[in-house]
Amino acid sequence: MRGNQADIAVTAAVAALACAAAAAGAPVAVTIVLGLALLAMPGYLLAQLLLGPGTAGLERTLAAVGLALIVPIVGGLVLYAAGVPLHRASWLAVLAGVTLAADLALWLRRRTGWSAPFRWPRARRRLPPRHVAMFGAAMVIAACGVVVARVGAAIQPGPHFTQLWLSSQGVGAGAIKIGVTNDQGSTVDYRLVVLRSGDASTTRNLTIANGATWQVTVPFNEKSGNLTANLYRLPNLSTPYRQVDTNGDKASGL
Amino acid sequence: MSASGRNGRADNMTAARSRLPVSVVALIAAVGVLIVAAAYTAGRLGYASSPWANRTYWVGQVLVIAPVGARLLSRRRLDASETVTLLVILTVAEYLVKVCYSPTGFTFGDELMHWRSTMNILQTGELFRPNDLLPISPFYPGLEEVTAALVSITGLSVFMAGLIVVGIAHLTYVLLLYLIFQQIASSHRVSGVAVLIYASNPLFQSFDSMFVYQTLALTFLGLAVLAAKHLAAWKTARDRGGWLAIALLATFATVVTHNVTSYVLVAALEVITLGSLLARSRLSAAWASLLALVASAAFTAWIVFVAPSTVSYIQPVLTSAVQAFKGLFASGHSSGMSATVGPLGDEALSAATVLAISVLLPVGWRHAWRHYRQQPWVMAMAIGSVTWYILVAVRLFVPDGTELAGRTATFVYVPTGFIAALAVIRLTDNSLRWPVIRANARRRAPLVVAVAVMGAVMFIFDGLANGWPPYWERLPGPYQVAGDEQSVDSLEIDSAQWAAANLGPHNTFATDNGDFAVLGSYGDQNPIGNITYLYTSPTLTAPDIQQAADQQIRFVLVDSRLSQALPASGTYFPGNDPGNYTRPLPLADLTKFDHIPDVARIYDSGDIVIYHVGEIDYAG
Repeated sequence: MRGNQADIAVTAAVAALACAAAAAGAPVAVTIVLGLALLAMPGYLLAQLLLGPGTAGLERTLAAVGLALIVPIVGGLVLYAAGVPLHRASWLAVLAGVTLAADLALWLRRRTGWSAPFRWPRARRRLPPRHVAMFGAAMVIAACGVVVARVGAAIQPGPHFTQLWLSSQGVGAGAIKIGVTNDQGSTVDYRLVVLRSGDASTTRNLTIANGATWQVTVPFNEKSGNLTANLYRLPNLSTPYRQVDTNGDKASGL
Repeated sequence: MSASGRNGRADNMTAARSRLPVSVVALIAAVGVLIVAAAYTAGRLGYASSPWANRTYWVGQVLVIAPVGARLLSRRRLDASETVTLLVILTVAEYLVKVCYSPTGFTFGDELMHWRSTMNILQTGELFRPNDLLPISPFYPGLEEVTAALVSITGLSVFMAGLIVVGIAHLTYVLLLYLIFQQIASSHRVSGVAVLIYASNPLFQSFDSMFVYQTLALTFLGLAVLAAKHLAAWKTARDRGGWLAIALLATFATVVTHNVTSYVLVAALEVITLGSLLARSRLSAAWASLLALVASAAFTAWIVFVAPSTVSYIQPVLTSAVQAFKGLFASGHSSGMSATVGPLGDEALSAATVLAISVLLPVGWRHAWRHYRQQPWVMAMAIGSVTWYILVAVRLFVPDGTELAGRTATFVYVPTGFIAALAVIRLTDNSLRWPVIRANARRRAPLVVAVAVMGAVMFIFDGLANGWPPYWERLPGPYQVAGDEQSVDSLEIDSAQWAAANLGPHNTFATDNGDFAVLGSYGDQNPIGNITYLYTSPTLTAPDIQQAADQQIRFVLVDSRLSQALPASGTYFPGNDPGNYTRPLPLADLTKFDHIPDVARIYDSGDIVIYHVGEIDYAG
């Protein structure tokens, strides 16, 4: 082996680690770091393979970023054409596969002297500490801006509401589902009154926690007549708070 | 003449150092981002229409833009790395401002469309799955592929992965522009100012950094053009081979990612060919025309074999534009002016910017002709910048031309920014030779720079004021009837998610503007246009019922808040809504579905009710 091959070793190791982390079900914090590195590495290696030593730093970096973004596009199309589903394993295989193949190609080219060995980039001049501190402070302040925006979005007064619905999804023929979801911001007491052709057939008192859904399946077919569900928000029993109604609909399309 | 001589003293390392270090510029810009975020929070807490909240927003923007502009336009020493850092500061700060607008999820309609396409890939593992909201999007899956890959390998949400992908793509594109300009003009000063002017395009801070396919395609376009530049300049066969591979890959990625950007790539390469022929550079012309040929073949093959629906997607837009121009040239005026008119201040800002750039371009052309006549790419930029005047004509004379002009601004501002930058540098340098300035250069020279900085701030303010989001929701805030981003809240999202879970995908829906994108994305439904008739009368007539049957409408979503306020965007409904409302819709027009036999009321969340009209007796 001629010269320094540190970049080849690091990229190969990261590709292997990213695959291992995915296989082992590593925490998201770990997969985020390894995943971002894995996305970037094929671009770096392809730029090393395609561009000569005369290409300047910024140009090489931008080419590497562009190539890194191109690899999943071409890889995804190739997988799709081959009939392979685009799930986690296939994306890992594409990115790790390209990384390792590019590692091998780069290693071979360096062995034959076609490519220059890896060199750590040298800073042409060192930034004075006060400038480093100011750049750091800028990043912290900008991050605070994003936090302020996220907090603002979290505390923004939003609508409080209750959803009442009818659905035939997931129930067999001759039945229909009635559901209530509470998004009022606190636990709420309701009364659900189900009427068939105008006559009350079922009455239930419900206590539903904020964010929770309650549902029931009731018999319903073409001969059942009209089905109405009135939801009252207790203690008000004079006016339905929410209402759904088949209104002569045969419910075949619900 | 050397580049430094032509382009002023700032490229010359003998100029004095600035008293405003780049690190301080970064700090000030960060404070600007924080102040804008505070203004957004004030908007969310109910002060969206408060004058002081709006002023706070603009103060934040001044802090982001003015110091960067001052350093780029200043005649103090500024090296290439500082120029790049300033452009990174401007781009990242404006991107963070965009992130702060929607910090917890996508709310822009176009972003929701691509969110849907990405979710389809993640849920099915397949490309090209139908997306009712933007049917063309699955056939150009570049952005969605990269995002789906990142989501899959990291475990991030689509929102977070999307922000990372488009953030990197946007910054890369801006820096590629800088590099291209820098290599054309051999001056980082001209290049920095050119990118500063480019950043004033109305979509720079919004559409060009959104989670939409164009954002990523622009990066590939920039890379392909940079590669074309190198192909004509590089000496060794090995380097040429590398750049040729990059050019081909970037061209293919552009074609696969966004149709319009791929046409623009071909047009750009053709203009470069023309410029090269003018400058008598055969090598440059040969490479540019060869790549244009390859790009044309690639997008033609893609359309024929993968995305034939592109033709029907693009045809109405082209037909409408051609008809408008025909009308314009036949009668001297078009059939109507732009429908959207903003506040007087925004319009005045827009007029001043249009005037200023229109005046700067001839100055830039003259400078380019005198000093860069032999440089093919400068000639290409000069030719390309003529499109500025076409853009202005479209904006002024074509019906709804503001929308069309806005969309093309992303591309038109590239050559325009470069030529205008030549003019700005020329004018600021020349003005220092004026006797009135020379008499007291120490005091008066900074005034020249100050005027230039004020001009740059005005350009960018015009882009922000007349770009996106529109003026009525510049600050995020509470729900607005038939608005855009401000019509996206938990009520709409929950009803859409309920539809996805309980109705199955791709049902034809009638709905208003506010629910349209949410229902199509979170709900995976097929909301359609031209449904105003369903909501604007107290009864449903037999012809109405027949039209609904013809449109195969299965569900109608009714938002009773349409009866409480006029539409913020001017229209309540997608498609053929004529607008011009003088009062909100009567509630009876919206609740009439309760009384129609065979129309089931299947969902009720208070303000939003969904009706099933699939069993309606269409025969009457």
